[in-house]
Amino acid sequence: MDEPVPDSTPPPSTRLRRSPFVPCLLAWCVPGLGHLSMGRSARAAAFFLVVTATFGLGLASGGTASVVDPQQPLSYLATFDNLALGPLDLVSRSVSLGGLVYRLPEEESSPERQAVMNRMRDRVRMPTYEYGSTFLLTAGLMNILLILDAFDIARGRKD
Amino acid sequence: MIPSHVLNMVAFAVLVAIFFAFLTQSRPKDRARVVVVLGGAMIVLSLIVAYVMYPFPLAR
Repeated sequence: MDEPVPDSTPPPSTRLRRSPFVPCLLAWCVPGLGHLSMGRSARAAAFFLVVTATFGLGLASGGTASVVDPQQPLSYLATFDNLALGPLDLVSRSVSLGGLVYRLPEEESSPERQAVMNRMRDRVRMPTYEYGSTFLLTAGLMNILLILDAFDIARGRKD
Repeated sequence: MIPSHVLNMVAFAVLVAIFFAFLTQSRPKDRARVVVVLGGAMIVLSLIVAYVMYPFPLAR
């Protein structure tokens, strides 16, 4: 007697299941897009508005994107935090540093370093510079939490 | 740009409170409660810390 051949085709729910890293990547590209891709539209809209408002206030208040300075170890963390904003980080670097600068040139007399330092000094002179930089860092931290939240939802750990 | 320090602090507290309300709660009523409690606590505690620091002299 022949045994029934097991069906190797996965059920539809399994076939349509995406990698949990896709919502994470979407969340990194645009705040809230990861949640929108999983059907959480109200949350996605709120996250998008809050993160972009925090980012916009930071930039308007004189906040400056962090650059890696080997003499200051915490600058690595701050730069990583800014990078968590995805494409928004490109905007903040262009506005606050005049270009896509990620690392402070080590040579003190190099014109590139002087140009970056001059841009940063101009920003520091603004009375709300500290607030602005805090807003920018907070927006980055918020997006890191959104990426982790999107990962948890995609894995089924959270509703 | 918001020129007032207090308004900057209030804007920061409100934005962070809304963010955590949507991140941690599902029902609108619970979200509103988190915004009020968390945002209010941040504002009130900041003002208390500011007044506690007031007698200390600035470094010269």
